[in-house]
Amino acid sequence: MLKSKTFVKKTRAGGVLKIVREHYLRDDICCGSEVCKERKDEAPVLQEDACIESNLCSYPHYLIPDTNVVLHQIDILEDPLIRNVIILQTVLQEVRHRSAPAYKRIKDAIHEKEKHFYTFTNEHHRETFIEREPGESANDRNDRAIRVAAKWYADHLAKKTNGGSLKVVLLTDDRANKEKAEQYGLIVYRCEEYIKSLIGNPELVDRLALQPDDQNEITDSKLLFPEHLPLSRIQSGIKNGVLLQGTFHANRDNYLEGTVFINREGEDINEVLLQGLQNLNRAVHQDVVAVELFPKERWVAPSSVVLQDDSPNDEDAEEDETENKRVVKSENVLKPTGRVVGIIKRNWRPYCGMLSQSMIKEVTGFNYKVNKVFFLHKKQTNIYIHVKKLRHPIKFHGVLYQDFNAYNLLLIFSQRIDMVPELLSSNLCSLRSNVERLAFSCIWEMNHNAEIIKTHFTKSVINSKASLTYAEAQMRIDDTTMNDDITKSLRGLNRLAKILKGRRTEKGALTLSSPEVRFHMDSETHDPIDLQTKELKETNSMVEEFMLLANISVAQKIYDEFSECALLRKHPSPPPSNYDILIKAAKSRLDSAKALADSLNNATVENFPYFNTLLRILATRCMMQAVYFCSGMDSDFHHYGLASPIYTHFTSPIRRYADIIVHRLLAVAINADSTYPELMDKHKQSSLCNNLNYRHKMAQYAQRASVAFHTQLFFKNKGIINEEGFILFVRKNAIIILIPKFGMEGAVFFDNKDKPSPRLIFDSEGPTLKVEQHTFRMFDKVKVTISLDASNIQHQRIRMALIEPVIPGVSVPVPESEPEAKKPKLDC
Amino acid sequence: MAAVQVSEAEKVYIIHGVRDDLRLDGRGCEDYRHMEIETDVVSNTDGSAKISLGHTDVLVGVKAEIGKPKAMVPDEGYLEFFVDCSANATPEFEGRGGEELGVELSNTLCKVFNNRHSVDLRSLCICPGENCWVLYVDVLLLQCDGNLFDAISIAIKAALFNTRIPKVHISEDEEGVKEIELSDDPYDCMRLNVENVPCIVTLCKIGHRHVVDATLQEKACSVASLLISVTHRGTVTCVRKMGGGSLDPESIFEMTEAGKRVGKALHVPLMELLQKEESLGKKRQKVGFLG
Repeated sequence: MLKSKTFVKKTRAGGVLKIVREHYLRDDICCGSEVCKERKDEAPVLQEDACIESNLCSYPHYLIPDTNVVLHQIDILEDPLIRNVIILQTVLQEVRHRSAPAYKRIKDAIHEKEKHFYTFTNEHHRETFIEREPGESANDRNDRAIRVAAKWYADHLAKKTNGGSLKVVLLTDDRANKEKAEQYGLIVYRCEEYIKSLIGNPELVDRLALQPDDQNEITDSKLLFPEHLPLSRIQSGIKNGVLLQGTFHANRDNYLEGTVFINREGEDINEVLLQGLQNLNRAVHQDVVAVELFPKERWVAPSSVVLQDDSPNDEDAEEDETENKRVVKSENVLKPTGRVVGIIKRNWRPYCGMLSQSMIKEVTGFNYKVNKVFFLHKKQTNIYIHVKKLRHPIKFHGVLYQDFNAYNLLLIFSQRIDMVPELLSSNLCSLRSNVERLAFSCIWEMNHNAEIIKTHFTKSVINSKASLTYAEAQMRIDDTTMNDDITKSLRGLNRLAKILKGRRTEKGALTLSSPEVRFHMDSETHDPIDLQTKELKETNSMVEEFMLLANISVAQKIYDEFSECALLRKHPSPPPSNYDILIKAAKSRLDSAKALADSLNNATVENFPYFNTLLRILATRCMMQAVYFCSGMDSDFHHYGLASPIYTHFTSPIRRYADIIVHRLLAVAINADSTYPELMDKHKQSSLCNNLNYRHKMAQYAQRASVAFHTQLFFKNKGIINEEGFILFVRKNAIIILIPKFGMEGAVFFDNKDKPSPRLIFDSEGPTLKVEQHTFRMFDKVKVTISLDASNIQHQRIRMALIEPVIPGVSVPVPESEPEAKKPKLDC
Repeated sequence: MAAVQVSEAEKVYIIHGVRDDLRLDGRGCEDYRHMEIETDVVSNTDGSAKISLGHTDVLVGVKAEIGKPKAMVPDEGYLEFFVDCSANATPEFEGRGGEELGVELSNTLCKVFNNRHSVDLRSLCICPGENCWVLYVDVLLLQCDGNLFDAISIAIKAALFNTRIPKVHISEDEEGVKEIELSDDPYDCMRLNVENVPCIVTLCKIGHRHVVDATLQEKACSVASLLISVTHRGTVTCVRKMGGGSLDPESIFEMTEAGKRVGKALHVPLMELLQKEESLGKKRQKVGFLG
């Protein structure tokens, strides 16, 4: 029998198409049951004794699930216990349209012989095919088709078994369908009802997917984020200038803030500030996003609040957001502000994260729903290692290595991850005493005033007389009784180095401070035992001085030879606005590095020896990042920190890839080697520089994270420690404290979720923060207690609390210092 | 048009018969031949009808498509006609033989039907100036046995009656981009009001009298014919003279009056028939082309 199915379809061009399909109905479709002996052309699938112990159905029966049951309870249907199921063609087609994974799973189940699943093509069966009635929705029609097919089965089986006990049971979670089926005279149960009735198989109940019932439906209608725009509208928006495209960078201090760098030429706005989770709109670091600018009235300044992502629920975040908006606007610091309206390209990469437990407590059953995924921004201990495949072998010191991976050297708590194989780095490339080693030498002829008369570069063979550590060398210099050749030459070098340094300082080179932390490791467990800031000796400075000189000389040489493709390093002058915080702190006026260096040198305060160091730390924070660049692509070569007009990295080819390139360039320059095309291509060179800079930054982050991690381990073992510190920054809700003894920084927060916040008055001009009666200024000396907060095992952190000055309700009483405490006490 | 050879004697016989209101097949001058109509015969059209009038067989299909309204009338849809004179109808149509007739027929049909007095063109508007429904009326001549215009016009009226246009509604997003959305219920359709759709009555002047629904033989005896389109109210919407001979004003007036009378009488049973067929719904036994 022929029927035609007619439906209208919209074409892509916007037209409307009426499609008519022929639909053949048959009367020879097998029911698939063993009881039906009519046709034997294929083996029956459904068993005659389809028994499963159940409270509801004591008779043998076949199950007919409706579409929703297949879609949502596929876990149940896949269970080996569930057998003898009739999957109607209507159901299968609907499942295929609605969920590809569910369709695949049900198909797999059907193909499994032991499960006795049978597909009944009810749509082509003469007696079970129905046509859609006027006013009937497609879903209603399918539900009706399912009921009709179930009814047909019931009648068919009854006829074949002569009124025997074999029955069909329709499973549906749709209430309306259930009622109609009952009226129609079918045996029908809700899935949950049926599964719970199964005797002896309580584990099936666990596999039930929770159905949002009408009574206790979790109304989660709150839209967390505004929807992203479709790509077509983003594209048209960018084209007509309504939207801007840029790369999103998350703020490292404040997870509610980020910046989008607009990378379009001729755009007067190249940075857009984003504030608040809603405006960030699920953008992840380094995504290419489309942003919409707010009108000027809504522009804000970057907030000075330190926010740690420790609030697992959104309510807190929203509070913080409103707080952010209350930041007093002072016109000059306002930045273009906007919101993310869509993500053009995700920065796909593996993330380390954890699933936090749902806030909604479920009474029964498992809740597979994952409510939120928090990304661990800060406390990540992953270590990223830069791997760059070298097409050209590293050639230096006459040793040739074919094709291996080059790493930038990473120092992670006294563990070195070397860039080149160990044999190279710690043996062949080290000038050991009394062993001949191949080297690349930079030889100066200097007069007594350390003025260079002649510079000469050459490949050389060196037989070193002695190899000394910094401490040993220092001892020899200091020990007046030693007068051998080596010691004398050391002293000579030291004298020259001092002159060089003096001259450099004269020119305005900065000595900036950033406390370097060193861990003393337990040799067995690798747990840190003690932690101290690195001490710098005179010999360190001596070696450094000559290294700098070598770098500068080489930089000049390769730039003279290859003005287009020399790999150099520059340190841009920081824009004056970067000094704001320093000026505020020290009230010093600076416009050149020289002025800065001088004023830094002069800035000492009686009875406060650490003041100068603090200032230097702060000044470091104002600096720009030093970067590698290709001389052909840039015009500003100045190195601000070293006050040198030109600079590069030459001295450490075993731990820096940049040095290797410089070595190659220099080798070509002195006719010791031949060149290759990539080396002379300034675009390739430039992209290499960008990669180096990026990797360098990443390595720094990894190093910092490693230090933070081990600081944490250290404090975990130490228990609670009381220590003196200085206020490094004053923020709106917190003070950042530097502990000189450990070279670590931490924040003391004054606002609290559990307690009413103390009265806080923040003055951004000072900057000062008045907490109740006490006013905090930068560089104030405070006493804090440091402990490890292990309340959230996956999110441990070091916590600082104020001891001195005593502010009632804010500071904490001096806790007993218990160095061996197993379980650190938690402060509020 | 398909011609038959009629001898002088035959002609005299026919003319004399007409004079006495008695035609070859026993009809009176204002009688139609036996007529059969069936609608919804082509499932992949939106509306279709097949008519047989004597041995004249015509199939009409209506396809509704979304198009752009004409600039002069932005709030109206329109109809387009195409008449296919297949070689099935007569060997003369073979090759490009039927082309000229087809164009003539479709031009005439366009004049008769494509105006707002005949069809409610405003109801075909979806979005003024942007989208409207265009009804493509395709006429297929299956067999020619005279009086093509009348048969075609009746079939068109029946096909338009049968036409079901899917309901659409315009949704607009925030940026004002309009999108046409289709109703997912195939029964949710728009029907056309065919009340005012006219029928064409062709009157052939034979001798001093005129006849309707002339057969090919009668046509051969006629020098001129008048084509009158009449609505159910008896309003004449279009008159066209065809054929090489001349008509005196008095007979034109007479023929118009006769056309009005015949046309008015034609509409009533036609509509009744269509309504009756419609009311049968799915129980209707389809005849199709083999009946």
